[in-house]
Amino acid sequence: MATLNKQAQKKIWAFFALGTFVGLLLMPLFLSLPVGASGGAPAPAASTAPPAAQPADAKPVEKSRDIWYKTEGPVIGAPAPKTTDGPKDYPRYNFESRVLLWVANQQHLYYGSFVLAVPIFCMVVEYLGIITKDKALARKYDQLAYDFVKISLTAYSLTAILGGILVFTYLTLYPTFFGYLASIFRPVMHTYALLFVAESGTLYIYYYGWDKMREGFLKWVHVSMSVILNVIGTVLMMLANSWIAFMQSPAGVDADGRYLGNIWHVIHTTLWNPINVHRILGNMAFGGGVVAAYAAYRFLTAKTDEERAHYDWMGYVAMFIGVCFLIPLPFAGYWLMREVYAYRQQMGITLMGGLLAWLFIIQAVMIGALFLTTNYYLWQGLERMRGAERYQKYIKYMVFVLITCFIVWLTPHTMVMTPAELKAMGGQQHPVLGNYGVMSAKNGAINTIITTTVLSFIMYQRGNKVPTVKWAPLGDAFLFGLFTMAYVNIIWLAVYGYYIPANVRVGLSVPQVATTLSCLFIGVTLNSIMMKGAKELGPTVWGQISVRSQYALIMLATAFTWMMGLMGYIRSSVRLFWHVNEIMRDNSPWAFTHTIGFAANMISFNVLFFWMTILFVFWLGSLGVKKAPAAASVGQKVPVPAGSH
Amino acid sequence: MDVIKQMLTGKLVEGYMPMQMLFELGSFALLFIGAFYFLGKNGIKVNKLAQATGLFVFSILYFTYRIYPPIPFSVRAIYATMTLIGIFMWVSSTEESWKDFRKPIIAVADANTAITKMIRTVVVVLLPFLVGFMGYNSMKPNVDEPIELRTVHPAPPASTKVHGKTFVLQTASSPYRVDDAGKYSDTIQKTHIDGNPWDEKAPPYLQYVREGGQIFFQNCHFCHGDNLNGRGMFAFAFNPIPANFTDPGTIAQLQETFVFWRVSKGGIGLPREGFPWASVMPPWEQHLTVDEIWKVILFEYWHTGYYPRTWD
Repeated sequence: MATLNKQAQKKIWAFFALGTFVGLLLMPLFLSLPVGASGGAPAPAASTAPPAAQPADAKPVEKSRDIWYKTEGPVIGAPAPKTTDGPKDYPRYNFESRVLLWVANQQHLYYGSFVLAVPIFCMVVEYLGIITKDKALARKYDQLAYDFVKISLTAYSLTAILGGILVFTYLTLYPTFFGYLASIFRPVMHTYALLFVAESGTLYIYYYGWDKMREGFLKWVHVSMSVILNVIGTVLMMLANSWIAFMQSPAGVDADGRYLGNIWHVIHTTLWNPINVHRILGNMAFGGGVVAAYAAYRFLTAKTDEERAHYDWMGYVAMFIGVCFLIPLPFAGYWLMREVYAYRQQMGITLMGGLLAWLFIIQAVMIGALFLTTNYYLWQGLERMRGAERYQKYIKYMVFVLITCFIVWLTPHTMVMTPAELKAMGGQQHPVLGNYGVMSAKNGAINTIITTTVLSFIMYQRGNKVPTVKWAPLGDAFLFGLFTMAYVNIIWLAVYGYYIPANVRVGLSVPQVATTLSCLFIGVTLNSIMMKGAKELGPTVWGQISVRSQYALIMLATAFTWMMGLMGYIRSSVRLFWHVNEIMRDNSPWAFTHTIGFAANMISFNVLFFWMTILFVFWLGSLGVKKAPAAASVGQKVPVPAGSH
Repeated sequence: MDVIKQMLTGKLVEGYMPMQMLFELGSFALLFIGAFYFLGKNGIKVNKLAQATGLFVFSILYFTYRIYPPIPFSVRAIYATMTLIGIFMWVSSTEESWKDFRKPIIAVADANTAITKMIRTVVVVLLPFLVGFMGYNSMKPNVDEPIELRTVHPAPPASTKVHGKTFVLQTASSPYRVDDAGKYSDTIQKTHIDGNPWDEKAPPYLQYVREGGQIFFQNCHFCHGDNLNGRGMFAFAFNPIPANFTDPGTIAQLQETFVFWRVSKGGIGLPREGFPWASVMPPWEQHLTVDEIWKVILFEYWHTGYYPRTWD
């Protein structure tokens, strides 16, 4: 009884501590936002005494109309400055300032994404460790989560350093523009800074408290802290997103760019939420990719079978988490583009059909590469399971489906051709391939690719297992029917899309996506249930996988990184010659859009630079490792997500 | 049935070609798989490298000679690369198949027999020549016209001024896309898609379509063709040839106001982004009234059966 009391006391104290902790961490957020929302953050031009303190005969407050929300509000800020090319607005080195800013921004973004993604990753893995009944496996998960927080700790300081570099670059090279942005976002920027402190504090306690909070209830407190860490991280990211969303689709200001006192309008612009969702998913896919590449690198350099087994497993887990977030990513992207079109038709056309359309073709290549690589890795994974050979004969059919869809997916709307080819073809539009160049075909292709990826995963889940549940034949028949119907439905809707108005066609993406997601959720869940207690034909031998699979993981990560760089560039350059779209014009000599070749080289440079520095981070992480990772001997059963093994 | 018959006789059937191509590719893939399976069953095991080479050569031939009109090289290069990737994924999907694929390559590299030795010698001698030829080829001065990356649909302005009136492209709508009561209707085209515009009792919408058709045949069909497919009698005098409205990538992709802007301003009014402004379309605002422009656009959509892009 006395012990129980002691335990109960401990629990109360732990709850109390956690509550205080959360309260303190979130205090800056609560304190700052109402201040801003009530218009208490006047811009410099209007930083006189608050209205209440003004004499009664003071000039009436000037009102103006919100450019997006169309609401009226008091003019608080100064109009957007009209810059001129010169040292006042655009001081510079003997170099293109925009390129310097590009590198600083991109590197900060890569690290920012990584340190936001890895804690989510850790949270999932640590939680898996807690709920896993097998103690050895639980320790393995726990160790994995710990290893990654350790890596993210170094990456975290790099993120902060890069953030500093970014701000200095803005202040020194684009002072007028940054001044304007800061005048509007002042409360948000302060909140951001304070949240950064909160994030750091939580991360340090999370990391250094790992051993102290190892057992029992304290472990739950520890994993709860990872939730808090991720909430803060996500809010941080959303605040930073509000700045770029404002630059792209401003709100909360009038047509002259004068702040109208409602900070929520400034934050909550029309593209803010689509960007938020897209970035959260993208960060996770990217984080999974980087971790998987790390594991692949360690696998390739491993000296022992134990090491190989461990890093094979780690690569698989990371890839799995990354791909889980990759699958909804195209849908989030679709939503973002839809909102862009709804915001400004010109912007949408510049992106998808005009000036930047060629970059979207490159993006299509990267997306296709991601899915192909994922499938390839899963097929290679069959090699580590004895008894999975029976599924390998289906690979060639899946390759065919994927490549055919990829061909449709990649066919450009506007083809590159010599004038002679143009004449031979008889015009810009090809009667066969022209049909592959439009959205209806693309939607069909990408949904088929994703559905096939799900099928590959189900095949992988089954690998060395034979279901023993009584209803297995029925389940198999259902799965067969589900996927057949899905393929028929997706392709039929893609064809039907040519015969209906555009707004209906856009709406057709919903049933297509629903079909794909049904296959994902219903198919995988049903299969997992069928595989419970299934008979194993042979063991899963971690580490016995081809080196090609590991190169596939590295390629996956590189493709993620490259694509992030590319899409970031596209999103940013769609503003064309505006700092803030239609509000503040870019009058620097660099307001033109770069050539595709230059942009591609810059993206590649950024990717290379990131991978070089992240290798350094990994190397730092490995310095602290005193012993070999927890042994997962060859042939030993180790856990994987989705309860497949 | 007729369509299937035509397909089976090897004809590319207009309107069905995109799906026909995919279907043909699938059939050939199955044929390949079946043939190698059959040979294997009869004791003739075809090496994976040979299979892969055969498949690759076949795909090149298919994309070059089967599809008509000919596909530009840039697209064929994309297709060939994709096929190569697919072939690599297939041959390396299992360890056994990968070994089989590498076997002849390794045998040539090791050169343990007289034949492999000879092949290796030939390869070693030819390789530098091949690289040299490629180098020469890429450095050789080229007299062909350069490739132009043309932006077919440049981003439109927010608004356009025609005959002194400003039209906001995001919000403007055709005054003739109207139902019988004279109200703007998204669905009126669908209702009358099979209607007869020459019927004297035709509803207002169809009458406008008829008027638009008359304007089209007085002004536009010389270039855009009487089937609206961009193959008018003057079409091939121009480079690029006029837009093909029956293609799903032209007016079907655009808002009616976008088309209104392009018709009004013509090639000369292309924005900066529309490099290299290679369009000879006249600015029709100099020849047609605002109403006539809207009517001719109405006719183009009705005749092709496409619907202008609209937003919810």
